[in-house]
Amino acid sequence: MSAEPIVKLSAVNKTYFRGSESIPVLDGLDFEVPDGAFQALMGPSGSGKSTLLHLIAGLDRPTKGSVQVAGKELSKMSDAELAAFRANHIGFIFQSYNLLPVLTAQENVELPLLLTKLGRGERKTRAQTALRVVGLEERMGHYPRQLSGGQEQRVAIARAIVNDPQILVADEPTGDLDRKSADDVLELLGRLNTELKKTIVMVTHDPAAAERATVTRHLNKGALQ
Amino acid sequence: MNVVSLAARNVLRNRTRTILTVLGVAVAIVAFVLLRTVVTAWNVAVDYAAKDRVATRHKVSFVMTLPKRYIDTIRGVRGVRAATWANWFGARDPRNPDSFFANFAVDHRSYLDVFDEMQVPPADVAAWKADRRGAIVGDVLARSLGVRKGDRLTLEGTIFPGNWEFNIRGIYTATRRSVDRSQLIFHWDYLNESLPESRRDQIGWTVARIDDPSRAAEISRAIDRTFDSQDVQTLSMSERQLNNSFMAMFDTLLDALDIISIIILAILLLLLGNTIAMGVRERTNEYGVLRALGFLPRHVVTFIVGEAVVLGLIAGVAGIGLSYPVVEYGLGRFLEENMGGFFPYFRIEPTTTVAAMGLAVFLGVVASLVPAFRASRLTVTDALRRLD
Ligand SMILES: Nc1ncnc2c1ncn2[C@@H]1O[C@H](COP(=O)(O)OP(=O)(O)OP(=O)(O)O)[C@@H](O)[C@H]1O
Ligand SMILES: [Mg+2]
Repeated sequence: MSAEPIVKLSAVNKTYFRGSESIPVLDGLDFEVPDGAFQALMGPSGSGKSTLLHLIAGLDRPTKGSVQVAGKELSKMSDAELAAFRANHIGFIFQSYNLLPVLTAQENVELPLLLTKLGRGERKTRAQTALRVVGLEERMGHYPRQLSGGQEQRVAIARAIVNDPQILVADEPTGDLDRKSADDVLELLGRLNTELKKTIVMVTHDPAAAERATVTRHLNKGALQ
Repeated sequence: MNVVSLAARNVLRNRTRTILTVLGVAVAIVAFVLLRTVVTAWNVAVDYAAKDRVATRHKVSFVMTLPKRYIDTIRGVRGVRAATWANWFGARDPRNPDSFFANFAVDHRSYLDVFDEMQVPPADVAAWKADRRGAIVGDVLARSLGVRKGDRLTLEGTIFPGNWEFNIRGIYTATRRSVDRSQLIFHWDYLNESLPESRRDQIGWTVARIDDPSRAAEISRAIDRTFDSQDVQTLSMSERQLNNSFMAMFDTLLDALDIISIIILAILLLLLGNTIAMGVRERTNEYGVLRALGFLPRHVVTFIVGEAVVLGLIAGVAGIGLSYPVVEYGLGRFLEENMGGFFPYFRIEPTTTVAAMGLAVFLGVVASLVPAFRASRLTVTDALRRLD
């Protein structure tokens, strides 16, 4: 594990503005994730967990402060630079999988590769490799509606890793799953962390899920405890 | 998989809505094609009118006749190559008195030389010329009357009362689109001989074939000048001029059709716009996902506009596919048979097809621009929040 953390937030403030109203969510937050870690983030609803994940994933910019991820300062990036950053460095896993229903499992996994210069054949091979990693190779022709929730989430994980990003960011990845499927997904994330050396930051409400992580952090009212 | 196939699949996602929209747009396209075809068919009569023919009639009115000897004078005018005459006969089929068709008593010696776009096999022409009661009918009229060559046909006179017997000696087809294929022509002599002495030797109008189309106006004036000092004066004009002056009466109607066409296009735009906007609203979360994966706002615009193009294409193809049977076989047949004088050739022009197709796609794109722009402007997190 290298000395320099792969995620480093310093004095981050995030305030949402809705008309005249301002909603401060994070205020003066410092947060670090060492390279190769598997961190769980817990906390009550509304405490700002998703907001924090969005900042790490480059989906949003802080109101104040610095967000450094994979050696890049995200707070100063333009929208287009952030998009390129996401495509190259981040794999995002959603609670509700968010697969496109009109695409097959393989096509969903291939989707991020449309942004690369890879040819059709190479894209297909990579998508199939990613599906093999999540154990759904034989389901590649299936549409999301033909898969169980757990399988859908594994396809979504394949989509998150197909670009070989350094960091996986997961927002309650097991929130919609039954115990068995949730365990399969957590087991998979654990393997991605240990075998493929992905750094993982995972928000969860599930203590059993947090168990899987190497470190669990608690966020309350925008402050770490 | 690529952007286009993704767009196409999204269009087919909500089948019911897509089918309803496609049907709505298709019906609007049929209406559009129909209106445009009315306009183009109307213009065909003008565009295809012979440029080298000059018609001469009584100066006062179309219904007043000229002395027959005028034809000889006209044939002597410089620049006139051939001339013929005809009378309006106005008889009808007693079996079907409400259906109108044009029937003329014509000079059988010269008529087909001047109207050479009416094609009749030479043997039939000879047979017709030899038979005083012989008649020639257009192919469209022959079909609707149910007559063939060699049949006998009885018509009921209106201007010239009585039952008139004819032998169908030939069927004419047209080499030019301006020809009304629902006419019947027969020997002027047959009519003339049956009239009382006092009404004989009157002709309805003459038509002259001229050497040089560019001199049509000049020759028209020359003909009229010849009869200036006679007790019956004439009015001559080229066939094209005649058609133009006739069409001028319908100018306002054509303008109205143009306005209705535009209204139809506006309806089309609203139909497409509504469907696209609904689809975009439902899929906002998916655009958020795409953005999270690294796609750019312009990719989102491409997805949405691509969908609109696919929708426009499907609707355009459906509309045109529907237009052909409706316009050409349904209404077109009917109009050619019953209103051949106005619509001798009621067919969809290729330009109309191209315009309808192009407009369906173009309006789809226009309708998608606002929703596409709005969706692309959302921040990633806002798009994603339109979630569960
Ligand atoms: N785009 C936004 N505009 C306005 N307010 C927002 C926005 N996003 C989040 N918030 C607010 O910020 C606060 C923190 O939201 P966040 O989604 O980060 O919480 P969370 O810890 O993920 O909660 P949960 O466990 O319910 O997912 C909430 O009060 C929320 O309403
Ligand atoms: Mg959350």
